[in-house]
Amino acid sequence: MTLQIELNSVNKFYGAYHALKNIDLAIEKGSFVALVGPSGCGKSTLLRSLAGLEKITTGEMKIAGDSMNDVPPRKRDVAMVFQSYALYPHMTVEENLTYSLRIRGVSRAEARKTAEEVAAITGLTDLMQRYPRELSGGQRQRVAMSRAIIRHPKAFLFDEPLSNLDAALRVHMRKEIRALHERLRATSVYVTHDQIEAMTMADHVVVMRDGVIEQQGRPLDLYDRPANRFVAGFIGSPAMNFLPAKVAEDGRHAVLDFGRLALGEGLAPGTAVTVGIRPEHIRMVPAGEGDFNVPIDSVESTGSTTYVTSATQPELTVVENGRGALRSGDVVGLAIDPAQLHLFDGDGKRIEQTHSNVGELRRLQSAETARPLRIGV
Amino acid sequence: MNEQIRNRLLLGVALVLAAIYLFPLYWMYVTALKTGSAMFATPPKFLPSDPQWSIYAHVWESRNMGRYLWNSLVIAVGAVSLIAVLGVGCAYVLARYRNVWVDVGLFLILMLQVLPASLMITPIFVGFSQIGLLETPRFAVVLAIAAKSMPFFVVLVRAAFMSVPMELEEAALVDGNSRIGAFFNIVLPLARNGILVSAILIFMQAFGEFVYSKSMIQAVELQPASVGLNTFMGPNTNEWNNIMAYATIYVTPVLAAFVLLQRRIVAGLTSGALK
Amino acid sequence: MKKILSSVTDGKGFDIGLVLLPLAFLFVLSGLPLVYNVVMSFQEVDMFSLGSFARPFVGFKNYVDLFSQPETGPILFNTALFVSASIVGQFVIGFGLALFFWTNFPGASWLRGLFLVSWVMPGLVVGAIWNWILSGDFGVLNFFLREMAIINANIFWRSDPNYSLWAVIIANIWLGTSFNMILLSVGLSGIPKDLYEAAELDGATMLQRFFTITLPMMRSTIGAIVALGLIFTLQQFDLFAGITSGGPNNSSNVTQYWAWDLSFRQYDFAKGATISVIMIVFVMLASVVYVRSTRHEVRG
Repeated sequence: MTLQIELNSVNKFYGAYHALKNIDLAIEKGSFVALVGPSGCGKSTLLRSLAGLEKITTGEMKIAGDSMNDVPPRKRDVAMVFQSYALYPHMTVEENLTYSLRIRGVSRAEARKTAEEVAAITGLTDLMQRYPRELSGGQRQRVAMSRAIIRHPKAFLFDEPLSNLDAALRVHMRKEIRALHERLRATSVYVTHDQIEAMTMADHVVVMRDGVIEQQGRPLDLYDRPANRFVAGFIGSPAMNFLPAKVAEDGRHAVLDFGRLALGEGLAPGTAVTVGIRPEHIRMVPAGEGDFNVPIDSVESTGSTTYVTSATQPELTVVENGRGALRSGDVVGLAIDPAQLHLFDGDGKRIEQTHSNVGELRRLQSAETARPLRIGV
Repeated sequence: MNEQIRNRLLLGVALVLAAIYLFPLYWMYVTALKTGSAMFATPPKFLPSDPQWSIYAHVWESRNMGRYLWNSLVIAVGAVSLIAVLGVGCAYVLARYRNVWVDVGLFLILMLQVLPASLMITPIFVGFSQIGLLETPRFAVVLAIAAKSMPFFVVLVRAAFMSVPMELEEAALVDGNSRIGAFFNIVLPLARNGILVSAILIFMQAFGEFVYSKSMIQAVELQPASVGLNTFMGPNTNEWNNIMAYATIYVTPVLAAFVLLQRRIVAGLTSGALK
Repeated sequence: MKKILSSVTDGKGFDIGLVLLPLAFLFVLSGLPLVYNVVMSFQEVDMFSLGSFARPFVGFKNYVDLFSQPETGPILFNTALFVSASIVGQFVIGFGLALFFWTNFPGASWLRGLFLVSWVMPGLVVGAIWNWILSGDFGVLNFFLREMAIINANIFWRSDPNYSLWAVIIANIWLGTSFNMILLSVGLSGIPKDLYEAAELDGATMLQRFFTITLPMMRSTIGAIVALGLIFTLQQFDLFAGITSGGPNNSSNVTQYWAWDLSFRQYDFAKGATISVIMIVFVMLASVVYVRSTRHEVRG
């Protein structure tokens, strides 16, 4: 695989503010990479640096093998889709699409032909003579996309392109962009604060915080093996439960405030750890049949899914399919598969666990505590 | 109260207020049409019984107004062109950046905006006469007006540029345009209305400018209409119908332009001065 | 060289070029005269030394002379009266009109904009019209006042020293009211409507709402408008030239007209420069207030 975008220890300062800290990133040609993180994490700055709209302070940035450090945006041959779409309001859709071609000296007729081809792909054929103000949000979004596609650039840069759309349209456009990517196979960098977008669209997800890359990898790898507490809490919805614990005397159990959990492998007794459990990995069973019992604080149901919050400190969230007869104040048992546990040390770093005895435990559980609490209808 | 009655009532009051406020203008138009005796009648006539339409041609001829207005036009066009050429770029940069230097620049410009012309004319006149600029007095006046009005123009046009989203320009850069290209292709067309309105305001100011012209232009054939009007109004004049006819010819084009473009002018003006 | 060129097309060089040229222009045509003004106020300048730069320095003599002249005191007082009366008049009438038009009936914004014609007209024309309206025997204002039985005998607005300054003040209030009204309207429309709805539910009367919501919310707007009024009023020259020429006997003279009169009628350029320096300092102080009250706009 050839690398299309390479960043080597890139730093960006705004005065004294350190916006990007030693960023190393390699993006393969044709892949779809999502930069995700909370606002102010530096993901947009990184994207704008790739476009050349911000100048990096130190480090090296390459696109298709050429150093881009001192190259102005217009010579980088990248295309960008802006959050606000940045459609030129004084130009028709067609003129918006062909703008970059006309600047490069492509003849009007040829530019028009190319624009029509692209419009056919993105479904804009009937809208070519309209002005941006006459378009709906989704149509504008499509024009912005088409304007990027038309150039066959070395890379597509997306800056939160879906955040101005309503929820339903956002889900639809997510699929459309992904389908477009399957078709064009152009290198794409996609900035979003929405981890679901990142997880569903990208081949490779880069999680950033405070100007640092916290972890990068395939979406499900990030979900299954988050490198630290931040990534664990950021990826997945609803967020992972974190419980402070101590390793028991036997070194094979974690002691929580309200119970004990088996660990995959031995740890030094007395070590302070944080146990992470995703809400979807906890099963509710009748009281006394799980790993421990908890009283229920609140039950929220969306109809298809029920979110249950425990009245413990810290609180635990559990997700179950279906709707329940549970109520606030009930006591339920919680069953947790040790293989689904995440352990983090005092600094929030992941403690790797190999589960040699996972199979055995699963069998044990299915044999002994196999009476899950029916909360569905 | 019925919504419609309330609106009619308010509109009626508003019309009365406007009529009172705009009475001086009406009085100018009416006086111009009066005969010498009707003008001094007691009680004054509020409708011209015997309108003297020929007065305009008479005043135009006798006061040589064509020449005066031509000079006003030359000065106003010259000042607006100079201000636009220099001021648009300046306003653009001041709108695009946010840092200490921009604040300093804006502060200086706002300070220059407030210097009264009648106080600045003394050093400008002496300085210009020393470097020989008074040999071309209309050009000297253009320079002085440009210096006086450019800050105002920059403040207004800056507001127009600030309403053009930064992303549009960035999109043009990524699309392959240079800074200059993006400025002319994207930013300038989008700020065009704001720039035009500001230029019209500056034009109106320069068209009526008096202090600089009065002080620097000695030759009567180069003087603008404001100076001509001043000469016309001697200390003990009683030719008020002629003077009002002169004033009518002078301001009617300005007023017509204002009434036509009123909405935009008001919007442009308020965006720069406040908010 | 190539780097500089690419900086002009793609980088900061483009911006710096755009901003430096006009700043240089302003420096030469506004900054230098400002300095030159101060220099001249410390020099002896007469018709003979007008053309040379090497004029004798006289220290503070011009300032001392200026303040020992008998007319200086009254003219400074006139200036203060002119400025304060104009600002109060423009503001009060302007605010009243703005509040009226705020009730927002069909046609309100168009009619309101129409008022601004007073502001776009050449100042000298406004002066000429008011000169005629304010004329003693045949002036239409005297007619109205007589009809309304406010006065018995005609007031000779322009030639009576007791009224001459007020003649210019009346014209100036007319000229500036519309501008005040428009800006105050902008300020009023910036107050969120739900504040009034909340206050009404809380039981505030119309008057209470005005004093507890409108006025406090308008504070920065009012500050800016008063400062702008001060600046514009101190710039007012054309009305003096068009109505009284500062007379009779300096009874309607103000500093900004006097400075010009000294230089261009009496050819005492040093004195003209001296009074200019003093007034420019005042205007600068006013503009600092203005800039401060619009600072949120400047910094965004």
